[in-house]
Amino acid sequence: MAAGKNQSSSKQRPPKILLAKPGIDGHDRGVLVLARAFRDAGMEVLYAGLLPTPEEVIDTAVNEDVDVIAMSLLNGAHLTVFKRVADLMKERGIDDIALVGGGTIPEEDKPALEALGITGNYGPGTPLSTIIEHVRKRAAEAREKKMGQD
Amino acid sequence: MSGKELPKQEKRRWGRIETNIADLVSGVKENKFSSIARAISMVEDEDPLLRKDILRKIGTSATKAHVIGITGPPGIGKSTLIGNLSSGMMARGITNGVLAIDASSPFTGGSLLGNRIRMQDKLRESHVFMRSLANRGEKGGLSRSAIGAVRILESAGNQEIIIETVGAGQADLDIMNLADTIVLVLAPGLGDEIQAIKAGIMEISHIFVINKMDREGAYFAMKDIEDIVSMDDHSGWKRPVVGTTSNDNDSYNGLIDAILSHRKYLEMSNSLSVKRRYMELETALEDEINETITSKLKKKLLEEYVSGKGMGHDRLDDDPFSIAEDLLKNFLEYSIE
Ligand code: B12
Ligand SMILES: Nc1nc2c(ncn2[C@@H]2O[C@H](COP(=O)(O)OP(=O)(O)O)[C@@H](O)[C@H]2O)c(=O)[nH]1
Ligand SMILES: [Mg+2]
Repeated sequence: MAAGKNQSSSKQRPPKILLAKPGIDGHDRGVLVLARAFRDAGMEVLYAGLLPTPEEVIDTAVNEDVDVIAMSLLNGAHLTVFKRVADLMKERGIDDIALVGGGTIPEEDKPALEALGITGNYGPGTPLSTIIEHVRKRAAEAREKKMGQD
Repeated sequence: MSGKELPKQEKRRWGRIETNIADLVSGVKENKFSSIARAISMVEDEDPLLRKDILRKIGTSATKAHVIGITGPPGIGKSTLIGNLSSGMMARGITNGVLAIDASSPFTGGSLLGNRIRMQDKLRESHVFMRSLANRGEKGGLSRSAIGAVRILESAGNQEIIIETVGAGQADLDIMNLADTIVLVLAPGLGDEIQAIKAGIMEISHIFVINKMDREGAYFAMKDIEDIVSMDDHSGWKRPVVGTTSNDNDSYNGLIDAILSHRKYLEMSNSLSVKRRYMELETALEDEINETITSKLKKKLLEEYVSGKGMGHDRLDDDPFSIAEDLLKNFLEYSIE
């Protein structure tokens, strides 16, 4: 086994993102677009698949130790479903995984989501670069928390 | 050296983990998934000091795990098979954990970790821990994380550890060296692809699976491999060929039996985990040597230079590379025959 690159400086893993549709919503084009965009931006991306429950989303996020859960809903259930994910995280004492939302989210719902710590909440037509930048920033914050630099 | 403190800066970098490291280690030993997950992240980050710290505190484990490497071409059904294999083992009371490796883009370093989705339902039902690892295009790095992750899963009390590889390349062969039992998954209709596989991984595989037995040509595919295996030298392990179908749970019993027999075979000859221990030692040595050379030896040689004991001060105008080369040569001549 060759030593390869110099090991003396420590090298961090790329940001790791879990894409999820935590509810009954068959619109998966958006998440598939995002999965490729995040990968091409140098991130490690997991897609949880259609219809996993909030519990499954969180278990996956914890076992994979992701930095961001990116939740997408186009079915109008974001206020209840995203909130359940945020509440469950709080219940389980998880504060070092960031929550980012998106899909068809009306402007007036955004403050309520933000108050739960769910940021972004981007809808159709948002440039991918805006989304990537936001996710990257949130991932960096989560990683800092994991490493105790709060 | 065991009480050696992490430098301050490192401590701050992983402050939260550092303060909770005892909890993290006991969490791993209690098979707490969140602790296992965080411990694996620590070995995934290429930070030799942290990796050493966590792995040393985890120490050796009471259970001796058997590592199964699942390999084969993309799309052949490895991830799906692992879901069934893992839950089938759990149903027999055999605890296990799963690591699945996905390829990273050599250009962006990004990766789509697509193995999980194929197995997660089964694993969740059976309460099995699974972790995706991206290969990041670096064989050395991947072997290191995989070695560490296997140690962590072993320490969590898993009797079996299943690893899925990307199915191509040198890094794959390296990972396969970690495994006690190598399972090569094939399927009907591979045709010429089989020829390509034959060259590398075929020789080192211990068990052959023909997956997608529901497909046309399944029995011909089995026959093909059985013919190849029949030419094996018959003194040692007799390599079985088993068939599996994803929608038939019972079809995995043959595979589980074959894996358990190979484990027994290795245990009888005292060769379970021998290769893995050797790889662990090899990486530990590499880390120690890197650490020594970059810190201790560098310091020593600089001191020798300054004190004039090594090469004298009179070479300040020489180019630094020749001085460095001479200092090291000089040192090696004294200490290694
Ligand atoms: C295509 C489509 C479908 C396809 C879906 C195909 C598929 N596999 O995805 C089909 C025909 C199956 C379908 C069915 C239905 N649809 Co439809 N569908 C659409 C449509 C026209 C486009 C969605 C799309 O794919 N956009 C392209 C992708 C790339 O964009 P995107 O998903 O919006 O994602 C982008 C952003 O939103 C953002 N984003 C999305 N998620 C996230 C997550 C994060 C974390 C971030 C940061 C960003 C982000 O980034 C993405 C990339 O830019 C929309 C209308 C619209 N213009 O949005 C309606 C729409 C979503 N559908 C709607 C409805 C009602 C339905 C149906 C219930 C019935 C119906 N009336 O047709 C069914 C239900 C299906 C189901 N099982 O859930 C409504 C939803 C209303 C609501 N929210 O209250 C919409 C808004 C149409 C409307 N104006 O009424 N639909
Ligand atoms: N017909 C059939 N399809 C299967 C079987 N096992 C897996 N598949 C399908 O093969 C495809 C690839 O499976 P996956 O497990 O991701 O393969 P991998 O790339 O080798 O890990 C998926 O569409 C599976 O549903 C099987 O036994 N029979
Ligand atoms: Mg796979």
